[in-house]
Amino acid sequence: MITKIKIHGYRIYKDFELEPNQKLNLIVGANESGKSTLMEAIALALTGRVNGRRVSEELNPYWFNTTLVEEFVWKRNNGERVAFPEISIELFFEGRDDLQQLCGAINTEIPTKACPGISMSILPNPDYADDLDNWARNPSPILPIEYYMDDWRSFADSKITIRPKQLATAIIDSRTVRSTSGVDYHLREILGDHLKPSERADISLTYRQVKASMSDGALKTVNERIGKLHASLHDRPISLAMDQSTRTSWESSVTPHVNKVPFSMSGQGQQAAIKISLAMNKHSDQANFVMVEEPENHLTHTSLTTLLSRMESLAGEQQQLFVTTHSSFVLNRLGLGSLLLMGRGEAHTVLGLSKDTVSYFQKLPGYDTLRIVLADKIVLVEGSSDEIVFERIFRDIHGKKPMECGIDVLSMRGLSLKHCLELCAKLDKTVAALRDNDGIDPVELRTQVQVWLSNGRRELFIGKVEDGETLEPQLVHFNGEAVLRQILNVDARADLSKWMKREKTEGALRIAESQQQIIPPEYMLAAAKFIHG
Amino acid sequence: MANYLTLAVAGSRKTQGIVEHCASLPHDRRALVVTYTQTNQAELRDRLSTYPGDHPDIRVMGWFTFLLRDFARPFLPFIFPGKRVRGFNFEGRPHRMAKGLKRFLDLNEAVYSCELGRLAHELVEASKGVLLHRIECIYDEILIDEVQDLSGHDWEIIDVLLNSSLDVRMVGDIRQSVLATNPRSQMNKKYAYAEAINWFREREARGVLEIIENATTWRCHPDIAAFSDTIFDSSWSFPRTESRNKTVTGHEGVFLVRHEHLDEYIAQFDPQCLRSSANSGKDFDLDYLNFGLAKGMEYRRVLIVPTDGIVEFIQSGNHLGPKPAANFYVAVTRAAQSVAIVLPDAGTSKLPFWEP
Repeated sequence: MITKIKIHGYRIYKDFELEPNQKLNLIVGANESGKSTLMEAIALALTGRVNGRRVSEELNPYWFNTTLVEEFVWKRNNGERVAFPEISIELFFEGRDDLQQLCGAINTEIPTKACPGISMSILPNPDYADDLDNWARNPSPILPIEYYMDDWRSFADSKITIRPKQLATAIIDSRTVRSTSGVDYHLREILGDHLKPSERADISLTYRQVKASMSDGALKTVNERIGKLHASLHDRPISLAMDQSTRTSWESSVTPHVNKVPFSMSGQGQQAAIKISLAMNKHSDQANFVMVEEPENHLTHTSLTTLLSRMESLAGEQQQLFVTTHSSFVLNRLGLGSLLLMGRGEAHTVLGLSKDTVSYFQKLPGYDTLRIVLADKIVLVEGSSDEIVFERIFRDIHGKKPMECGIDVLSMRGLSLKHCLELCAKLDKTVAALRDNDGIDPVELRTQVQVWLSNGRRELFIGKVEDGETLEPQLVHFNGEAVLRQILNVDARADLSKWMKREKTEGALRIAESQQQIIPPEYMLAAAKFIHG
Repeated sequence: MANYLTLAVAGSRKTQGIVEHCASLPHDRRALVVTYTQTNQAELRDRLSTYPGDHPDIRVMGWFTFLLRDFARPFLPFIFPGKRVRGFNFEGRPHRMAKGLKRFLDLNEAVYSCELGRLAHELVEASKGVLLHRIECIYDEILIDEVQDLSGHDWEIIDVLLNSSLDVRMVGDIRQSVLATNPRSQMNKKYAYAEAINWFREREARGVLEIIENATTWRCHPDIAAFSDTIFDSSWSFPRTESRNKTVTGHEGVFLVRHEHLDEYIAQFDPQCLRSSANSGKDFDLDYLNFGLAKGMEYRRVLIVPTDGIVEFIQSGNHLGPKPAANFYVAVTRAAQSVAIVLPDAGTSKLPFWEP
């Protein structure tokens, strides 16, 4: 299992360090936060390949961290003889016996540490030292990657050319289907890992024999006829035969079928599901790394649920999963406890989320926790009417919508404030939480969640009991019945409080759209000021 | 845990023994075969690939390669943080007074072959068990051929291996130790050359090692075998060599040859001429091979131009010191059928003169 990941100089990562969870890692972050880059980097060091191709084929100047490259160019232009930018990705593994071949102290840890590990470096090729020197006289931000080389090594300082067998890695990328046969490099690797060497040899041999029998059978008469044609350059006989070169090996013709339908012809969702099942359903005596990008893509809600429970049941003791997702459903379902939050080239693991809270959200996977995770500042309100009214009041005070100020107003819709606040606290978010007093003394309500509150960071706002038990009576209290009737367009014949109770959302919408001034309830005003000071 | 040393005489098919042992191992046994000389490595690799060719986890490595791959390269930072071994310097020697990194690595950070054993041994300690644990995990068994050729700190490393969980099997002929891995090392001087036998016997007495004597030669004629046994005095307590050579050519055994018969002898028998070094045997213009280079070779007949020490040994029975004795032993045991020694006067020796 990977115990630590260190990335230097790769794309957005200048110096990145992460200690991933032992089993499951749910990588979440805004767009451009480096989720895919992290996955790519891990795969690069584990398999020596990017998108199934060798580093040397894929290497381009944009792999290098722009800040580091700019720094280098600037310093060289100023006459400083600084070294060329390099990329290094290091994966540290736990000290298992079967990984000892990779064990050593050739890594960047200080003080010296020996453990199994693997590193991928992209560095200037010393054979081209002169060319590099020439180039550096007039450097540009586009590095001359032609003079670079990749160096894939174990921590024991021995060069690696093919993936060590203990590091079985399955990469499932449901975003795109890469090859026309549907069997891309990754799937071939996964299938390959399922076949014993003897089985592979057997398939290969049989395939060759089948091809050979074509030549002796159906093609025989054809060949007798065209053999008499003298069409070739030097009058040598021409014949048709099955191509037996390695280019046409069985792997391109033998493909998985689902319910007798070729893999490539089945739906993309089905393809993703099959890849995941194949990848995870391996002998658990190997260190297995399974990397899944955005499993929610191409899947209906029902299929996603099926897939996630399959992933859960297949996850073995020895498997480490890395999953990126944009879906709160995936996040909640697989467990918020495994969250890895990416942002600005850094990652945070969310440590110590209580089991209680994790399973609470697992049972309510539909809730949009990802919004909590990704927001800068959060306002937690009880329901949609609170949300609408708060947005209006916020705009009145600050002249902007909360969203424009990086504030996400989230309606809890009956979810427990305690669990939401715990999640916010573990993510260290700035939160204003608003709730009705429901006739209970605010002091008492506050003590229930006191552990998750923190002055100036996470505060709870509750109206006074005498000003009304919920939002609606509070609004009546602060604005007076007459003004509110006008705003809500409720005539004198109707009972205002009954109307407001019945038409909560409609009332809130009318308030939001009203041209008239609205006096905010005290607690809501305080919350709006607190969250955007 | 089970450690064995097979002490074998020249011509006893030591290498074949290793090959046969490898073939008898379970299919998935991870064995490392280590040897000192290049020729021996190539020979072993060749024979292992044909005989027990279906064992995927048997690997052949030179002693230096073993120390580089499994000791120095992975763990150098434990003594010199942030440093890497970037090459191997076979010829070079560090400055006598060199300290720290400079003692072990040259300017290009290539490790000196002569200091590699010392470095490797120090890393065993410095890594606090990680190094040894790694070796214990990646191999089940280590076989060391030509163990008599190791010297200096190499012995410390053998000690580490003997006390590990690995099975260690060593094969060697103590009487043939004419090479030394570090010509300057003071370490373990008392074990140098043929005195290595005592080192092993100490370990046998402590119960970490079992010594098996193999005194059967398939090469040397019984008379040659008997003569080779006289080269070391009885205090070494080497066992008597048994010969399985039954070939008869009409000229078998050990002979003395007077200078005036030399040309005739060579013309008649065409022996391989051997001398101790380039400085000896200058009295005759012969197509010589030095003793050291003849190691591992087999010839039908050899002719030896003796050193002063050898002359004295033959004429008056005074034994040679350990190193010249080993050299002479190598020279004598190259021969299958006959050994001729160029000597004008037999002294007290009972060896017969060859006469035309």
